[in-house]
Amino acid sequence: MPKSLYIDPNEVLRPKEHEIKFPEIPVMQYAKTVKEELKEGNFTPEDLKHIYRDMAVIREFETMLNLVKTTGAYNGVAYNNPGPAHLSAGQEAAAVGMAYNLTTDDFIFGSHRSHGEILAKGLRSIEILPEAELKKVMEEFWGGATLAVAGKDYKGGNTKELGIRFLVYGAIAEIFARTTGFNKGLGGSMHTFFTPFGIYPNNAIVGGSGSIAVGAALYKKVNRKKGIVVANLGDGAMARGPVLEGMTFASMDQYKTLWEGDMKGGLPILISVMDNQYAMGGQTRGETMGYTYPARLGAGFNPEAWHAERVDGYNPLAVIDAFRRKKALLEKKEGPALIDVVTYRYSGHSPSDQSSYRTKEEMEAWQAEDCILGYGRKLVEAGVATQEELDAIQAYVKDVIFEMYKLAIDETLSPRMDLVKDNELLGEMMFSNSSVDSLGDAKPEVNHPMEENPRVKQIAGKTRFYLDKDGKPVSSMKMYNFRDGVFEAIVDRFYKDSTLVAYGEENREWGGAFAVYRGLTEALPYHRLFNSPIAEAAIIGTAIGYAMCGGRVIPEIMYCDFLGCCGDEIFNQLPKWQAMSGNILKMPVVVRVSVGSKYGAQHSQDWTSLCTHIPGLKVVFPVTPYDAKGLMNSALQGTDPVIFFESQRLYGVGEQFHEGGVPEGYYEIPLGEPDVKREGKDVTFLTIGATLYRALKAADELKEKYGLEAEVIDARTLVPFNYEKVIASVKKTGRIIIAGDASARGSYLNDLAANITELCFDYLDAAPAVLGSRNWITPSHELEEAFFPQPGWFLDAIHEKMMPLPGYVPVSNQTAAQQILRAKKGI
Amino acid sequence: MAHVIIMPKQGQSVESCIVSEFKKKVGDSVKVGDVLFGYETDKATFEEESQVEGTVLAIFWADGDEIPVLQNVMVIGEPGESFAEFAPSKAASDAAAGPSEASGTSDQEGAAGGVGGTGRDAEGVPFAAVENKGAPVSPRARRLAVQKGVNPEQVAGSGPGGRIIERDVLAAAAAQGPLTGLAKARMAEGGVVSPGFGSGLAGAVKGSDLKVWEPAHTDGLPGEGTDYELVKLSNMRKLIARSMYNSLQNSAQLTHMLGADARQVQALRKKAKKALEEGRLDVNITINDFVCFAVIKALQAFPNVNSHCLGDAMRLFSCVNLGLAVDTERGLMVPAVAHADQMDIVTLSRSLKKVADDSKKGSINPDLLSPEAASFTVSNLGGFGVEWFTPIINLPQSGILGVGTIVPRPKLVDGEYKFVPYMALSFTYDHRSIDGGEATRFLKKVAEEIENLDLDF
Repeated sequence: MPKSLYIDPNEVLRPKEHEIKFPEIPVMQYAKTVKEELKEGNFTPEDLKHIYRDMAVIREFETMLNLVKTTGAYNGVAYNNPGPAHLSAGQEAAAVGMAYNLTTDDFIFGSHRSHGEILAKGLRSIEILPEAELKKVMEEFWGGATLAVAGKDYKGGNTKELGIRFLVYGAIAEIFARTTGFNKGLGGSMHTFFTPFGIYPNNAIVGGSGSIAVGAALYKKVNRKKGIVVANLGDGAMARGPVLEGMTFASMDQYKTLWEGDMKGGLPILISVMDNQYAMGGQTRGETMGYTYPARLGAGFNPEAWHAERVDGYNPLAVIDAFRRKKALLEKKEGPALIDVVTYRYSGHSPSDQSSYRTKEEMEAWQAEDCILGYGRKLVEAGVATQEELDAIQAYVKDVIFEMYKLAIDETLSPRMDLVKDNELLGEMMFSNSSVDSLGDAKPEVNHPMEENPRVKQIAGKTRFYLDKDGKPVSSMKMYNFRDGVFEAIVDRFYKDSTLVAYGEENREWGGAFAVYRGLTEALPYHRLFNSPIAEAAIIGTAIGYAMCGGRVIPEIMYCDFLGCCGDEIFNQLPKWQAMSGNILKMPVVVRVSVGSKYGAQHSQDWTSLCTHIPGLKVVFPVTPYDAKGLMNSALQGTDPVIFFESQRLYGVGEQFHEGGVPEGYYEIPLGEPDVKREGKDVTFLTIGATLYRALKAADELKEKYGLEAEVIDARTLVPFNYEKVIASVKKTGRIIIAGDASARGSYLNDLAANITELCFDYLDAAPAVLGSRNWITPSHELEEAFFPQPGWFLDAIHEKMMPLPGYVPVSNQTAAQQILRAKKGI
Repeated sequence: MAHVIIMPKQGQSVESCIVSEFKKKVGDSVKVGDVLFGYETDKATFEEESQVEGTVLAIFWADGDEIPVLQNVMVIGEPGESFAEFAPSKAASDAAAGPSEASGTSDQEGAAGGVGGTGRDAEGVPFAAVENKGAPVSPRARRLAVQKGVNPEQVAGSGPGGRIIERDVLAAAAAQGPLTGLAKARMAEGGVVSPGFGSGLAGAVKGSDLKVWEPAHTDGLPGEGTDYELVKLSNMRKLIARSMYNSLQNSAQLTHMLGADARQVQALRKKAKKALEEGRLDVNITINDFVCFAVIKALQAFPNVNSHCLGDAMRLFSCVNLGLAVDTERGLMVPAVAHADQMDIVTLSRSLKKVADDSKKGSINPDLLSPEAASFTVSNLGGFGVEWFTPIINLPQSGILGVGTIVPRPKLVDGEYKFVPYMALSFTYDHRSIDGGEATRFLKKVAEEIENLDLDF
């Protein structure tokens, strides 16, 4: 919606061209011979033999895993690998061709079937890294623990050969869940990766990398980092929403129309479709998709059709040629790009797959075209290598893999984590809990000094408490409110941390749908604050990729109800990567989520409980300006994923609790500490979110009419959560109501209640009562009173479940009989 | 303006009273001094006179109802004035219907779970010991009950579904004096009940003050059988039953029996009768009076006997407060004569007669009926021909002397057996505070005093 982009009716209604022209998408156009390549000086004979070797490594690696899975042994040495093995035998030329032009500055992301890609990228990195650098990488990794085993019996003194052993061992050990593996055995077959070689996470969710890799490209662009990003996806993944959303995000016009200076230009993202013809058992061409070739998809996203191209993935040189050209395009900021690499997998989806969906003839026909045999023949024909040399390479590869296999299954040399004995070990790995001012070294790019910012100036004139000096209420225009608290923390971080970016729907000129960002547009260049497409999966997915690479990011989900649109990103990706990487990755993502009301069933839900259920997320829900600023500061100072909920009911509230109002300077409120908003002795109200204010009203009524004093505690943070204050309160009062706006069934309210029951059992005068919203759709605003917990419900719960209040007449039905009846009906 | 008439509080230990009869009915006009209703405690009857003039607007109870003290009974005012707001709740009447033991509802306000200022007292959350076996108890209430030495089974629950909750225990705890450590421990064990306020400082309840709690057992029984009729015990009967039962459960009682030569007493009695007839005395000094006089003298030499046994301590009296068992129409009563050791025989005789008469009339001061009021008790069944018996101690007193009838017994007098009148003395003592030797010496001393009584009157 920038005003600079004029939507001209004359042009829109009467365009010059009356048809949409698509650029031609090349299909299998590579036709060079080995000799021609040699003649052009694109390769040395040694390069060509290394390509052969790298393919051989992948083939033997996958053969080894297949034998272990299907026969329980490799070369007669028994081992049981209960984990998954999605193998890529047959796809070696595609993987090696993909990796050939990439340096360690170039990142690859993969899928569940990416052993070949990580090996190819690793082998290529070993080849091109200076020896000293390679040595340093290996020696420093896990304090040398992986190298110590991999190089145990190696006497050759060749760093590159040692590097190959290191790579193969690290990968096998990871797949077999050993602490010496690349991710301490916590990633496994479908997730293993090794960032020093530019190998970023593979992903067990089909298409998971489709948006994450785009975020990595965003990181490279915004932070002026060298290299491009390759997302290796399967042909089946091209059906996935997050992939299409990621492509949409990568296709945005604004990179070329609105981003300024050296930021102008496309994202350095290359989607590489490893088109092995099958989406598990579904046949993408002719059965489950309609694109004929995945390359066609490029045409739907931008006028350049993503420079898409379909290449022969059974010829490594054809793949190398295509990647070389696309990489050059990306480096000229003409991305994004897409390569559709034609290949074929010999093995089934997994070893349990009987390949019932294809014929023997088909498999044999492809094996006759085998990429390694075929390439070997070409090398011999071109006189680059003799068959004996090739056989020697094969023998060397088999030796290395067998040796590394034996080391990796050695229980002493390659131990697993003992999570039974060291019961808290994995728990301690779920969060990084660091405190870092800035994740970048650069000077943060801003448009003017902070004190010149119009919003900052406006806030300076506001009263930072809801009452003035004389104790009179401050008018809403002059009162420092909740959105000011969030703004102050965020603008402060933008001036501190050069890596910080924020985006979401309507984040820039509009200032966010709820005006929290008003003033940020003036302060920040486009590349630090921009509007995203309405693509929640891409908003969160790209943020994950951005953070994985080392940047801090605030993606925004405009309504809590839209969390479902980025369900995989919030539940499967964001929370998992810190632990799954063996703590190599950090995840400094603060997801701002606005919790609505007034807008009915799809815009008024409190889904905090869904987030608390997923291990690995921190969940924060402040409801006062003081808490909002202090908790946002903490969230932004940390390196963990935080889902930061804000209530739309409260953007305008002033600070009513913190003495002296909201401090002007920087301060942090540690995540996890509930706050006693009002002291009392007769009953405790523990609230989540905006319910606090209704609980306070209930406390007032309780005091006035019944002389009972309620202690009101605001949870503030749901994960982590320190129960100590609540326990102390319940010991005092003996009664507790836990209330929030989430629908009661299955909510975190019940989790709190269960824990409090256990922790305070001997002190309870009644079972903790839970007041959540009804298990309905959220009705219209005019009817909400019956849906969300109301002040009267608190008194009802006390009267019905704790201690009858003399003469009290309940307003809602909180009786046990009704509870049973509703549950019986599922409402 | 409407005036509320409440049930007056008669004595420290009275929790509720029974209305014997309403003398006025709704609509009657009332003058100052008119009797509104008669009522009785366990041991005494009273009449409530009107302090105001007006018309009876409401009577909340019926004849025979048991009403907690300080509870609203009736309203007097001008016709048309509202009175509904004074009506006591049903909970109050339910509470009153339960067996009562603990005392003092007036101290409850503010202690009742923080619901101050809303007439919780009037709401009548039951503080009385009730039978509540099996009622749900909140974990907090259970914990507090242990701390406060309250037996939750004796508390009525005011929580949802009758659950005993914190405020119920607090109320019950406030209805009794502070408990000593021993008392708390014994209360926590269950099976005993606190008397409300005990014999310690500021009414502290000591272990020895606790009484075995004996709940009623008739709930749910059919009212009539083929061979019997089920008759509910009167409050008085229940009180006596409980205190007798408590006495035997909570002390180590045994009885020594000894005869005393009654010739001297009989001589004194003859002298007293003659003096009365001749008008030299205005009081009829009975054999029992002489015996009591002798007992008082003996007690002064045996401080351990003139005592209360408190379990972990003895209360040794510097005076003799003599309890006298009196048979009345309502049942056994034991009024006390305070400082009986300061009295000559005539004064003593008068005092004993007065408390006996008051007890029979029901006008005795309830405080004199407390077992705490006497330091020793004499029970005389001689008039009914009983010779020996085993009287039951009125706890916490350490002993009781049972006086039997006088029978002629052979005695060696000047080398020759002659029949001499002997008085049977049965001394029950608490072996916790008194050993057999001391008990024997005391009883012997009583006999000697009786045999050698030399009095002028």
